[in-house]
Amino acid sequence: MNNLSGIDERLIESILDKVDRPARYIGGELGAVNRQKNEGDISFAFCFPDTYELAMSHLGMKILYEILNDTPGVICERVCMPWKDMYVLLKENNIPLFSLENRTPLNEFDIVGFTFQYEMNFTNVLAMLELGGVEILSRDRKDNSPIVIAGGPSCCNPEPMSSFIDAFFMGDGERGNIEICECIRSAKQKGFGRRETLLLLSQIQGIYVPEFYSVNYNNDGTIKEVVPNIDSVPQNPRRRIEKSIEDLPFPKKPIVPFTQAVHDRMVLEIMRGCTQGCRFCQAGMLYRPVRERSVESLMEYARAQEKATGYEEISLSSLSSGDYSHIDELVEKLIAEFSKKRVSVSLPSLRLDSQIKGALEEASKVKKSGLTLAPEAGTQRLRDVINKRITNYDIMQRVKEAFEIGYSNIKLYFMMGLPTETYEDLDGIVNIAKCISEYYYSLHKRPKGLRITVSTSTFVPKPFTPFQWAKQDDLETILKKQEYLRNSLRIKGVQYNWHEAELSVLEAAIARGDRNMGRVIYGAYKNGAMLDSWREHFSYDIWKKAFLDNNINMDFYSSREREYDEILPWDIIDIGVSRDYLMRENERAKKAQTTRDCRQGCMGCGLQNIEGVCV
Amino acid sequence: MKMRAVYSVSKRLRHVGHLDLMRLMHRALRRSGIPVAYSSGYNPHILLSLAAPLNVGMAGDREVMDVQLSEVITEKEFVQELNNSLPEGVRILSASKRDDKHPAAMSQLFAAQIRYDFLSPADSILSNVDAFMQRESIMSKRKSKKGMVEYDMRPLIYALSVNDGALYALLSLSSKGTLKPASLIEELSSFAGVPIPQYIAVRTALYADKFIPLEEA
Ligand code: SF4
Repeated sequence: MNNLSGIDERLIESILDKVDRPARYIGGELGAVNRQKNEGDISFAFCFPDTYELAMSHLGMKILYEILNDTPGVICERVCMPWKDMYVLLKENNIPLFSLENRTPLNEFDIVGFTFQYEMNFTNVLAMLELGGVEILSRDRKDNSPIVIAGGPSCCNPEPMSSFIDAFFMGDGERGNIEICECIRSAKQKGFGRRETLLLLSQIQGIYVPEFYSVNYNNDGTIKEVVPNIDSVPQNPRRRIEKSIEDLPFPKKPIVPFTQAVHDRMVLEIMRGCTQGCRFCQAGMLYRPVRERSVESLMEYARAQEKATGYEEISLSSLSSGDYSHIDELVEKLIAEFSKKRVSVSLPSLRLDSQIKGALEEASKVKKSGLTLAPEAGTQRLRDVINKRITNYDIMQRVKEAFEIGYSNIKLYFMMGLPTETYEDLDGIVNIAKCISEYYYSLHKRPKGLRITVSTSTFVPKPFTPFQWAKQDDLETILKKQEYLRNSLRIKGVQYNWHEAELSVLEAAIARGDRNMGRVIYGAYKNGAMLDSWREHFSYDIWKKAFLDNNINMDFYSSREREYDEILPWDIIDIGVSRDYLMRENERAKKAQTTRDCRQGCMGCGLQNIEGVCV
Repeated sequence: MKMRAVYSVSKRLRHVGHLDLMRLMHRALRRSGIPVAYSSGYNPHILLSLAAPLNVGMAGDREVMDVQLSEVITEKEFVQELNNSLPEGVRILSASKRDDKHPAAMSQLFAAQIRYDFLSPADSILSNVDAFMQRESIMSKRKSKKGMVEYDMRPLIYALSVNDGALYALLSLSSKGTLKPASLIEELSSFAGVPIPQYIAVRTALYADKFIPLEEA
């Protein structure tokens, strides 16, 4: 990994003077590894396909960065998606996209590893590859090209990106990524070419190498079959599931960025997985089963991180922190130990029970932030459909408590366009906002400055959820519903935010796409799409054209209901949760039947069939 | 007790903005375990003040800051411990004690010395330095709250010289008037009739009244 292209440092400096927020490109932060390139024999570019500020807030990156750099012989460096101004200047000046640590061009790494957090980042992946001098298409790569891999939740349906990624890694990455490095090392030592290397990689549990599988289609565009085209690969690559996360390494010395990241604080992952079973939620299915870290080790990590970073705030991370078995104990211990050091603990807002409240008031560390609730749907019926077990009574109880402790800022998150939704359900959203507003003004003693923020996102049916077969509302319907809510939510103290409808429709199409979707993504990128998740850069027209140019019908992917017997593009992956369970859940949804949290009794989601993983 | 410290900001870190540098110092002090004093009030913060913000894009050789301490420690300890917690690119060069009543570095500021290192040929502006300085007034425009206003930058320039291809400027930096290093180069380039060359500005020293180095004031 020599700096073959000899990046011109002076040129980079002069470019940095011209771009917005140059500090995000300089590297050298506290905690960043500072090693010569020749100190390792395997180089790994950890690529985050969005801006630095988001990358540096991402827990997965913190975890893997530290693990990989602690692995003998491995050097892991970070590469982020540049902002448009930087992208243009790099291109104009023929400077390849480089890593933050050693300013190494992307194409000089052994492994180029992306994390996929969001489908609307896919054009950024193409941009980074091209800018980094790596062939965009997997099939164009040579024996000396890097191996391009991807992991993260948006990989669970790998097919839309299968033309660009050599190997996908599904599931918990802590051990898997080390195995990948070892595998590449032994391939290098043996002098393997690309195909042999990929074959070796495909033997790692959790890896899916698309080129070893062939897809045949029916005349109507649905999939006829997906079959391995060589013998030695698994029929259905299975997600990597670590039985316990307690023994997996967790960051002790995370990087402290120079420029403020979106989340500029310590993070403790208290628990992985969620058993609430919300039927729209992909993360809830992808990260099963629930695995907790012990209070003791979390305290250790907190101490280490505080020493290493000097951060003033600790936040707890999980899909549903209120469900963590020792939440009260943990919060009390954190506050007891860290308030002396003037470190505040930001709490999972859903659970402010009396004890914690007491502890908080004592330490007077309550930030006057507010209450955040995600009822997701406006009526009890629809909440039963999606299995979100929260009632209007619960909501009002929490709001009451919040007003009592002096919060006047209430944030409510809803999803719009859920299966079976009618205007009655939208009225339910309006009613909740109205009730809160009226209740507030009925109080004699109330905190100042009521602010109710109602935000709606648009339902995007996702692979590996009980709603994976569902249709999404078409664009027109979504826009009409948003208009309706805009008009109905003109209530004192209420502000309404909605999510860009076009973006959600595209997300739905791409998320459930097959291999053909790759042509659309490629076409959109070639026509200038990138940084699509940023309003100022998103252009729906470019994408519409890309679908048209490739003769691919967006509605086929977004707003078409699938039959149970249809082979879905992601069926090739064994995510651990069974198709049968998802079907059962979908049927219960149709009858508005809820399903209990499976910690109160196994619901047979499929994981019970995998030795020793759950129950 | 207060500690007045001199520190440097490397060229690589010249892109870090003032608030980010403040946050960086703040966290380094926290990590170091140096007994710092906090402000009282709802959101307590370390009593730390940097003498003068460095504009984004500018490096600093001898920047100055004041830190209020809650316990007495030696200068040596202060320098050592803080350096141990700072990222590469920011170094504490020296420190000296002041009593609590000593005026803040910020209020003692008078002038700054700037060195411009050129990345593109700058001969045509360098050869114009003397002629530029011989003028009695140098009228220029700058943005203010009321829109663009005219002002005379000549009295804000104490000295301008060339050495080894670099330009050195001694510029006013005080409550009475401040000249931005970038404005000087713009004006000088337009005087020479050439486009603005590429350069990196380094603030090499800060001065108090009578050009006493700020760290000695
Ligand atoms: S196997 Fe049973 S207990 Fe485990 S996650 Fe699935 S439903 Fe829940």
